[in-house]
Amino acid sequence: MTPDRFEDHAWKDIVPDDLLKIYEPYRRETVVGPNPALLLIDLYNLAYQGGPKPPQELQDSYPSSCGIHAHRAIDPTKRLIAAARAAGIPIIYCFGDTAPQGAPRRVGATHRKGVKRDPKDFEIYHEFTPEPGDILIPKQRASIFAGTPLVSHLNILGVNSVIVCGESTSGCVRASCVDAYSTGLHVSLVEDCTYDRHEMIHKMNLFDLHHKYADVMAVEEVVAHLSDLAASRAAAQCA
Amino acid sequence: MTDRIWDQFLTDRDKEVFAASGFGAMADWGERPALLIIDVNYAFCDEESMPILESIKKWRTSCGEVAWEAMPVLQRLIDTCRGKGIPVIYTTGIRRPDNWDSGSWTWKNKRRQEERKPVLTSDGRDGNEIVDAIAPGPRDIVVHKQKPSGFAGTPLHSYLQLLGCDSVIVTGTTTSGCVRATVLDAFSLNFRVTVVEDGCFDRAQASHAINLCDMHAKYANVMPSDAVIDHLNTLSQGMFDLPSGAGMTATAAE
Repeated sequence: MTPDRFEDHAWKDIVPDDLLKIYEPYRRETVVGPNPALLLIDLYNLAYQGGPKPPQELQDSYPSSCGIHAHRAIDPTKRLIAAARAAGIPIIYCFGDTAPQGAPRRVGATHRKGVKRDPKDFEIYHEFTPEPGDILIPKQRASIFAGTPLVSHLNILGVNSVIVCGESTSGCVRASCVDAYSTGLHVSLVEDCTYDRHEMIHKMNLFDLHHKYADVMAVEEVVAHLSDLAASRAAAQCA
Repeated sequence: MTDRIWDQFLTDRDKEVFAASGFGAMADWGERPALLIIDVNYAFCDEESMPILESIKKWRTSCGEVAWEAMPVLQRLIDTCRGKGIPVIYTTGIRRPDNWDSGSWTWKNKRRQEERKPVLTSDGRDGNEIVDAIAPGPRDIVVHKQKPSGFAGTPLHSYLQLLGCDSVIVTGTTTSGCVRATVLDAFSLNFRVTVVEDGCFDRAQASHAINLCDMHAKYANVMPSDAVIDHLNTLSQGMFDLPSGAGMTATAAE
């Protein structure tokens, strides 16, 4: 997207003009980088439990659910994954590692209390079931990079940039975007396919990531880019 | 390449095991290499070619004459890479003046305490400075490290990622220490690895040979510099978005 529409995103209604002025030097064109891979952060059952309700209503029964925010992202995320498959780019999922005896006590993605480690909760949600050629990475902390073989996989795949989506914006998505940036990868974050438990937290974290580390982009724009990749791939195969 | 530098150190049984187990096959080169020059500084080379037992009186880590036998090899590799626009990346050590950050290095060497006072060259330069004979140019990259591997606690991997490298050509010292550690980490990150046999050196001849043997068996193609330069000359010109070098002096490419 062109620089004049740089602030045309979810945070528009909560970020005051004086703050935007401070962040003016970050204004730039936003793009998908070369040789991308799709990183799907924590699209597991836990985030969808209790159905499309406000998370505060689910708090008692399903404290990890993002409720309505998770369910609203289902359709755009399916479109994004389908476009990535058509373009033939690597598709990489991560989920909470529940291997028995895999970690000492108090190791987790956040300091949140009372999170149970039931493998069923960390299975990828049925709407996004991975295919055999996809890559699944178990992780113990917030970032998909922390203590995992991800970078060696990206190297052997010849990946130079990542397209990120999933949950939560303030937690594992943010940590993964910052680590991707620090690793020297261009980062595109798909706004419609990323969510958190609360809109305010979601918007402010998107704002931070967009200005400093990632190009926050609308799903239409990313899907259009992937469709172009798919078309040029098909043309190359015909030639 | 039937006679290898390590052959003289292997038993007949070792040779049979290597032959039967399939190790030491030649891997692909990769397409986008960076040249890595590990720790070719005054502390490991001295200021000129000196017999090693003489040299280590002042520089306890010196490799002596073999460092200076490798120097023309490194010069040719560097010239070839600069000419092609292939990234040239140096590593060298960095330390607080009080040496607190030596950490684990203090555990295995009796002469460490000598470094409470800095050892300097005759013209007062730090032992970690890269030797003038192969000084970094303005478009080269220097990575400062504290541990054997060039990857440990440094931005090296992010630089390779940013440059779009898929492979590294490793030279420098010591073959058994920092070269091997860097090769291992590059391998673990899925980079293709070439080690330049005559571009590496070690203070111990047996360590040099056996470590080349190990790396060639499992992690890297160990090749003579002539073959590496022939290969580099087949690569396209200007594949990389290198640093511009603007504002850099020739010897301060950091």
